[in-house]
Amino acid sequence: MLSEIVRKIDRGERLDVADGLALFETRDLLGLFALADRLKEARHGDRVYFNRNLRVEVTNVCEASCLFCSFAKLEEGHPGARTLALEEAWRELEQRLDDPPTEIHIVNGLHPGLPFSYYEDLLRGFKRIAPEVHLKCFTAVELHFFARHYGMRHAEVLDRLVSAGLGSLPGGGAEIFHPEVRERICADKATADEWLEVHRIAHRLGLRSNATMLYGHIETFAHRVDHLARLRALQDETGGFQAFIPLAFHPDGNGMRNLPAPTAMDDLRTLAVSRLFLDSFDHVKAYWVSLGPDVAQIALACGADDIDGTIVHETIYSAAGSSSPSGLTKAELVRLIQEAGRRPVERDTLYRVLEEHPRVAVPEASVKVRDRKARRHLDVLV
Amino acid sequence: MSSSEVPLRVAAVSYLNARPLVEPLRDHPAVRLTCGLPRDVARMLAEDEADVALMPVAAAAEQGDVRLLPGMAIGARGPVRSVLLVSERPVHELDEVCLDLSSRTSLVLARLILARYKLSPRLLGFPSSRALAEVRGSRGAVVIGDPALDAGARFPCVIDLAGAWYAWTGLPFVFAAWCHRPGALAPEHHRLLLDAKEVGLGMRRSLAEEHARKTGRSAGELERYLTEHLSYALGDDEERGLRRFFDEGHAAGLLPRGDDVVVAAPRGPAPRGSTLDAVLARAAEGERLSGSDAERLLAGASVFELGIAADASRRRRHPAGVVTYIVDRNVNYTNVCTTSCRFCAFYRPVGHAEGYVLDREVLGRKLDEVVRAGGVQILLQGGLNPELGLDWYEDLFRWMKSGWPLGLHALSPEEVLFIARNASLDVERVLERLHAAGLDSVPGGGAEILVDRVRRRIAKAKCTSEEWLGVMRAAHHMGLRSSATMMYGTVDTPRDRVLHLLKLRDLQDETRGFTAFFCWDFQYEQGVRVAPKDTGTLVYLRTQALARLVLDNFDHVGASWVTQGPAVGQVALRFGADDFGSVMFEENVVSSAGTSFRMDAGTMESRIHEAGFLAARRDVRYTHLTEPA
Repeated sequence: MLSEIVRKIDRGERLDVADGLALFETRDLLGLFALADRLKEARHGDRVYFNRNLRVEVTNVCEASCLFCSFAKLEEGHPGARTLALEEAWRELEQRLDDPPTEIHIVNGLHPGLPFSYYEDLLRGFKRIAPEVHLKCFTAVELHFFARHYGMRHAEVLDRLVSAGLGSLPGGGAEIFHPEVRERICADKATADEWLEVHRIAHRLGLRSNATMLYGHIETFAHRVDHLARLRALQDETGGFQAFIPLAFHPDGNGMRNLPAPTAMDDLRTLAVSRLFLDSFDHVKAYWVSLGPDVAQIALACGADDIDGTIVHETIYSAAGSSSPSGLTKAELVRLIQEAGRRPVERDTLYRVLEEHPRVAVPEASVKVRDRKARRHLDVLV
Repeated sequence: MSSSEVPLRVAAVSYLNARPLVEPLRDHPAVRLTCGLPRDVARMLAEDEADVALMPVAAAAEQGDVRLLPGMAIGARGPVRSVLLVSERPVHELDEVCLDLSSRTSLVLARLILARYKLSPRLLGFPSSRALAEVRGSRGAVVIGDPALDAGARFPCVIDLAGAWYAWTGLPFVFAAWCHRPGALAPEHHRLLLDAKEVGLGMRRSLAEEHARKTGRSAGELERYLTEHLSYALGDDEERGLRRFFDEGHAAGLLPRGDDVVVAAPRGPAPRGSTLDAVLARAAEGERLSGSDAERLLAGASVFELGIAADASRRRRHPAGVVTYIVDRNVNYTNVCTTSCRFCAFYRPVGHAEGYVLDREVLGRKLDEVVRAGGVQILLQGGLNPELGLDWYEDLFRWMKSGWPLGLHALSPEEVLFIARNASLDVERVLERLHAAGLDSVPGGGAEILVDRVRRRIAKAKCTSEEWLGVMRAAHHMGLRSSATMMYGTVDTPRDRVLHLLKLRDLQDETRGFTAFFCWDFQYEQGVRVAPKDTGTLVYLRTQALARLVLDNFDHVGASWVTQGPAVGQVALRFGADDFGSVMFEENVVSSAGTSFRMDAGTMESRIHEAGFLAARRDVRYTHLTEPA
């Protein structure tokens, strides 16, 4: 079965839904990984991209009640609910001006009590502090919520945020598009069509965006292929997606805590199939926060060409029991990629190259290595 | 004649038969000569302690990428008198044959000749001084070198193996030749050795007389041995004999193909070698790989090429697709240790406030818990604590075996050696007593890298490679099984890792006593005085896959989830592993180095399933305890 798909790929033919399903179901996992690696190499050579980004989550108050979420607290005043004052949010950046990130990545709960101007001011403030920084903010789910909640059309929401400094859209909130799953795990937020519509409009306005898929819970392989097919169709139409990022479900502390997390084999399989199926996506990202740095390293040989960024302060996955560190330094990311035998390339949000690093590792005496107990990288003093 | 200031490092076998090639080099100003047993000489070339080595040709094939200097060798066209299978009864009545382990060539030759006679006695390896003493009744021995010269007359049944080879093939047999690595020698070195041979051949009478004086043998007979039985030529006939030997040895699975060994002068043609794809295909088919094949795979093959070949190799051995695991508990009975290895974060020196020895109450509770959890084994290891004597261990083992139905997988070679030194007993005696007290098997820890150059740098106080292997050999001889390990990623090179694997394969050829192989990278913790390198999960996958391909005589290769984490461990199952190690209750050494992963049996099985395998519980001998499911 895999050999037929290899022939199709060699002829430059597009994979259909049946092929996608066959790839998910194949027992020849190494063959699948190697094939995905081949396509990644054809597109990007031995480059692996990363960036220096800063995650900011300004509020975890959320009117949606997604089963998979351990981050959101339903109401203001609920234990653990937290909304940053604008000054507090801006301070995250101000503290790091000696080595400023190139991107701020903002994702939040759907807070019913904030004025729209809060978000506009938030972005303007960041731009005031660091005019160069790229603001990749608000998932389609948030943007759809803004439109509904504040009584605006999608395009109007986007126009106003772009005026305030918005540079591009992150890919979150896609979860699983298929209604059989979506209605069970996140019925009270943007539907698949609404999510896709927000990205369509953003692409038309000239904004780039990413796409994600939350896998490894109650969905089937067929649901995953359906999800990828919908993304591919929109990409065919607009060409506006930059990266696809599969996100592994983490079960701690949420409404599906009885489910096991997907295993590493499923993580790598999903990444590899994504690379093969999403032929019109330039980038497939091994999001190290989701996979853990160790498995992310293997993923760099299974079709991924990007490992995300420094993050600095991740709270969504860590709320769901991820043991990944909440941030990595640039040197640690470079080392992680070099250890995998790839060439680290620092990019900006729009994949413009900022710095190419050598493929080989740095000399023995100054290496950064993992401290497995602390799950983070350390300097070795020799 | 070399004008270089740096003397040529020459290693040579110390037998009488080598002296005509070696004697004139003895006080040569341009030569630094080291003599030893064939096995040691081969090791010196492999570990770059010699530029040229007069060594067994089988060892050259094992190492690979070796050239033999033309015009000189130690061989025979017919009976040689110094490589004999001796016994009290005729060969077809033998149940066991003891093998003198000092030369690989003779070992392989002996196996080929026995196979040719359609005989398959049990083979037991012994150090060269011992094999002869073991001969009695239905137990014969292959003896090599000087001890064999007398043995011929002492036993009623004698087969001269070179004679048998000639009768079989009509070709001369080459035992040893001057081996060198591409780039290590200049043409003047070749001339120097050829000149030495010219002089040395003329010295054969005086060498025989000198040897006769020392040993009381007949000088005339020794001279005939050197002049009539032995041949020092390496020409076309000898090369044909050599190729035939490699081909037969390869077909029997005893040798690599030998196509990366050529007869060539310095700066002569390079070994033909094979393409990477060809090596991969051969590896997947289970053919024996040379050291240089393995190095090429490590340097050139992608992680998936290695993984797919290793997975195929695993499937050939375990076609049912079962991955096993064991429910056991790792108990570190003491953390007091005198070795202070640079990579260890667990030990405490003698007298340190944090030093401990587990008392029986604590230990008993741990054993109860293991039994309650369905565990089948205790892995008992500790530091080298000078306050614990052999009696202490014997008492402990008897106590444990009397109270709990658990296998006792205990004491790595380092600990056995330490107990032996403390008790002033030899290793065999200590193992016998521990075995009698309840020891079931020996864990393969502390192997690190079995190359002394590396060991000296990271664990100076630890045993040498030969000592480690010697404990395992002794354990295997008395029927104990053991595992084998490798810890890479300190000061070792890819070559060192390959040499490590070859040494394990070599001993396994001899004893078949190893059950399984596990490897891991050095687990760094801040404060430890050695820097890690070549870490990273892809390196782990490559290394484990390579081990599966090189260790063609190991039944099992395990994925080390304890060091790599359950996620990477699971992926590693597809890179040649058929075992997932143990459901560990505690593992103090690795967790003090920062690795602290946990997995229960259910999680373990679901990870095995997700990787596409059936799961079964096993005991220490890898016997299934549950139906694969």
